[in-house]
Order: sequence, then structure tokens, then C-alpha cells
Amino acid sequence: MDILYIAVNIAAFLVLAPLFEGVVRKITARVQSRQGPPVIQPYYDLLKLLGKQNLSAGNFAFTVAPMLALASILSVIAFMPLGYQANYLTRYADVITIIYLLTLGGVACLLGALSSKNTYALMGSSREMITMIMVEPVLAMTFILGAVKVKSLGIDEAVFSTAGGYGWSAVLMLAVYLMALQAFVGRQPFDIAEAEVEILEGPFIEYSGPNYALFRYYLMLKQMFYAALFVMVFIPFAKTGAYGVDVLVQLAMVFVVFIVIALIGSTNPRLRIDQAQKYYAVLIAISLVAVGLSVYGV
Amino acid sequence: MLSKICKKAFTKSLWIYHCNSGACNGCDIEILNVLTPYYDVERFGMKLVASPRHADVMLISGAVTRPMLPLVKKAYAAIPEPKLVFGIGSCAIGGNCWFDTYNVTGGADKAVPVNFIVPGCPPRPEAIIYGVAVALGLANKKAAPVELKQVEFPVDMYLANKAWEERNVIYKVLND
Amino acid sequence: MWLTSKIKQVLLVLKPGVVTLKYPFEPHPVPKNFRGQPVWDHHKCIGCGGCAAHCPARTILVRDLCQDLRVMMYDGSRCTYCGRCADVCPESAITMSEQYELATNDKNDITLSMELFMLTCQRCGRCYNREKTNMIDKMGLKGFRYDNLELRAVIQKATEHFDEKMLEESDRHQRPRKIGE
Repeated sequence: MDILYIAVNIAAFLVLAPLFEGVVRKITARVQSRQGPPVIQPYYDLLKLLGKQNLSAGNFAFTVAPMLALASILSVIAFMPLGYQANYLTRYADVITIIYLLTLGGVACLLGALSSKNTYALMGSSREMITMIMVEPVLAMTFILGAVKVKSLGIDEAVFSTAGGYGWSAVLMLAVYLMALQAFVGRQPFDIAEAEVEILEGPFIEYSGPNYALFRYYLMLKQMFYAALFVMVFIPFAKTGAYGVDVLVQLAMVFVVFIVIALIGSTNPRLRIDQAQKYYAVLIAISLVAVGLSVYGV
Repeated sequence: MLSKICKKAFTKSLWIYHCNSGACNGCDIEILNVLTPYYDVERFGMKLVASPRHADVMLISGAVTRPMLPLVKKAYAAIPEPKLVFGIGSCAIGGNCWFDTYNVTGGADKAVPVNFIVPGCPPRPEAIIYGVAVALGLANKKAAPVELKQVEFPVDMYLANKAWEERNVIYKVLND
Repeated sequence: MWLTSKIKQVLLVLKPGVVTLKYPFEPHPVPKNFRGQPVWDHHKCIGCGGCAAHCPARTILVRDLCQDLRVMMYDGSRCTYCGRCADVCPESAITMSEQYELATNDKNDITLSMELFMLTCQRCGRCYNREKTNMIDKMGLKGFRYDNLELRAVIQKATEHFDEKMLEESDRHQRPRKIGE
């Protein structure tokens, strides 16, 4: 039975991640008053990239990096309790493992970028490193908030800690997570690191064909994972007990979060790296305050 | 079987790399116009990418000047197979007014093999979208070579004169 | 505040809706005085070669096949659509049409060639009254022309009487080689 939960997790994420990316592109196009690509466009993009020739920089790290990134995000997805059901793998990992695995995905991007020996990739990877350092504390505080409340580091208890009682600390953390969501996902106010025209697509400039398809799939899965994490941690209300209905309700709420991501992404300019650091310093301070409040049981 | 699906997905999502090989920027502005909301080309799935390694289609604008000749060849070699090349504007097709000057190679097909041409100086954004539609198979080609003739030979009026009969030999040879 | 201005921005965008033209599926009209591809009217053309002399890209070529036949070829690959040929034509035989949908995969698709019958004087072969005609007087090359049509090359020589040796030599014409070719 637990294998079914793992399979449903991985299948739902793999199949729906390009669809949500397509929704984001369509909403961005509508905000810019134009028609935009069809919603299933990212599927065509991935299939086309799989059919292209694979030009490689030659060293081992270049070919291994996209597979490492995809493997890390798939392993995190495999033990997330989607639908309020902890599965077989959940008790083998705890909160700190998730943080490590997500950082591993970012490090795989850096590995790929630095092994391609291109100056633009070097600049993109240095900006990506700064973004990762800024973003990890907020992610860690989100988990530690739940862990402090239920006094355990296991994933299902820490993630669903808000079902017990909401409190001021959870409300503060919700606001901080929403403000930081765009940087987790790598979209408009904070997309300094990847996929921008300023430094010619940053870290992935030398990738082509199937390797690039794996990296784009990794970015889409990462986006959907962070939106699903938001829904799981901060909206525990619609728990009906039936697994299928719970999964569908959570996916519908993930869709709403994606609409919010798209609207914020298409109406904001891109911040410079030092402006983003100042913004994040404030957010880290507020998240520390929220964790402090939860220690005192508020 | 996967390769067949990948080939079908190729026409639905073409990624464009724009290479300016010494143009006056008129054609570049028209290419950027095509990406604006009014003439949106992203509804066909096309996206402008910054690196030739991610691209499928290379848009060349400009007569290829002598310093740009090896660079255009390098950019073409950096695009993974399968690839297409579009020449935009009359500079890329034949070199425009400067096809025989000292610094210009004259036309993009002296540097890379060109698949489609879009004539114009600069071509209208609608003309570029029409070229894209012809390449994707959404519209039919309208241009065709035209041959006009003024008078059909031989000319009866001159047949009566015997002196012209010798001249009419040339017309018979031309008709063969 | 920052949030209200972004919400106002999204609501402002809803008013025009989607403005994309449905171009390849519906035709789009051109503005007035638009210069598309030039079109020759072979009934009006007198074969003076004025358009060939004025074209900035040297894209109109003139070749005499024999004493009475002149072939004029417009090679659209280098045309800048400037309209000088239409301006200078003494008989108004060239009009700049509104055709801009010219994309193709073969360079030969945009060429136009015209065969003209040049009427000859029964006595001297080919002459016209030079005192009365101005436009033709001002042309640089008077007489018989030998441009090479395959290489699209303009040959800057013209002879008073038709010269068959010139015709053969122009068939064998070779373009000068440039550095880097």
C-alpha cells in the first residue's frame, strides 16, 4: 500500500509539473495583453529537446550534473507526505535531510555550470551561489518552526504541525514564506541566477539537447515542490481522510498558488543581487522572530 | 517511437537565435517587433533564446561583413542538429547594395547554408510571420518566377519581305 | 503601497484584453503608398534600360540576345524596394505593388524576366532620333548590352553595332575573386 503512495507522489509531480509551468507562461502572456503559447507548450519543449543532438563539454561532471539534480529532487518528492499520508520512505528521512537534498540540487547546477568553462556560466553560478545562501535559512526556519512545536524532527509531524494549532508564529511564517516564494522558485523579482537574458541564460549556457531537457525538468519540479510545500505546511484545513480526494484538493490549491506566482512574476522587475540581499536580510530576521515566538508556544 | 514523437514536437516549439552579421539594425528591429504583443509569434511556441546551444533556428540579418564571417560560421556550428537557417532581409539574401564591395562577403549563403529567405528592406513583421508560417507548413508559398514576353515570334509583317526571311532563321532557332 | 500598485497594474491590464492580430489566418491590410515588390508591364515597356541604370543594388540586368531581342531580368534577391525604377521609368511601366508576402526557400522564386522585341529601322538596323529623346541620351551605356544573366553580373561595355564576339565573351565572364572567398 505504501508503494502506491510513493508511485502516486512521483507520477503526480512528473506529469503535472510541465502543465503548471505552461499555466504560468500563459498567465504571463495574458498580463502582457498577448495570446501566448498553448498551455501544453512545455511538454513540446521537453520532447523537442530530447530529440536534439547532445553537444558536450567533454568532462564527466558535465554529463552527471543534470542527472544528479533530477535525482535529488525526485528523491525529495518521493518521501513528501502528499495527501496527508506518510509513506514507506518518510520515516527514513527527517527535516534536515530534505534541506540537504534541496541544496544538493542547487550544487548540481553549479557543478554543471562550472564544468562548462564559459565566462557567462561562471558569473551565473556565482550569482546562484549567493541566492542559495540567502534562501536556505528561510527554508530551514519553515521546517524548524514545525519541529520546535511538536518537539520532533520527523517529516510528517513537522510538516503538519499547524494542524494542531495555528498561532501567531505560523501566521508570521506564512507571510515570510509568501514573500520568499519567488526566490525559491526562481521567478521574476529574484531570477538573477538562471534563465535571464542579461548574462545569456546564466549557468546553463553550454547545455544542449537531452541534458538541457533534464535541467528544465528539474526547474519545473522544483517549482511545483515549493508550491506543494506551501500548501502542505500552511493550509492543513481540508483534511477529509480519503486519500484520493485529499490529493486532488491539494493539487487544486497548488494551482491557485501557481496563479499567484505567475501574477507576481509578471508584474515585477528583476532586482540586482545586492538589493535582493538587503531584502532577504529583513526576511531572515523576521523568520528568526517567528521561530523565537514558537519556542515560547505562541 | 520516441524519435517520431520528438520529430513531431520539433515543429511546435522552435527556439530562435538571432545573429546580426553586420546589419543596419532595421531587420533586427523588425524581428523584435515580431515578439511584441501585436504580432505575437510566441503563440506558435517560438521563444528567443540567448545561446546558440539552446536554439533550433538561426535568424541571420545583415550582409556578412569580413570580420563577422568566421564568427557566423562558429555560431552555426554551435547549434545542435536538427537546425534551420532563415535569412531575413535583402542583406542576408544577396548582400543588398554592397554585394561587391571590399568588406562584404555578400549574402548569408556564402557563409552558412540557408533554408528560407524573407525578402524586404526591412521586411514587415507580417512578412516575417508569413515566412515562419510557410516554414511550418501553415501557409502556401506565393512567390514564383515570372516570365513576360512582348511579341510572339515569328512576326507576320516581316515574312512578306524576302530580305527578312534570312533574319527569321534566328527566330526559328530561338523557338527550338 | 507596493501591493496595491501591483494589484492596480493587473486590473489595468484587463481592459484591452488580448490585442494579438490573427495574422496568418486572416489577411492584414497594408498602409497607403506601401512599396512592395515592383511589377513590370511588358506592354508599356520600351526597353530603355533606365531602371537598370538607376537601381542602387544593380539588380535589374539587360541583355541583348540578337539584333531585335532584349531580355531584361529583375533579380529580387538584392532589391531594396526603394522605388527608383518606378520613379524614373519614362512610360510608367513599373508599379510598386503591395505584395510583401514573398518568403520562399529558393532564390529563383522572386525573379522576373521579360523579353522585349526592339523594333529596328529597316534601313540602318537600330537607331532612334537622338535629338528628340532626353532620357535615353543621359544613360551611360548606349547601344547593345551584354550583361551576364547567370552570374547576375553587370558588364560595363556597350557597342554601337551588335557584336557577336562580345556576346560570347560575356558568356564566359568571371567575377573578380575577393579575399576570404
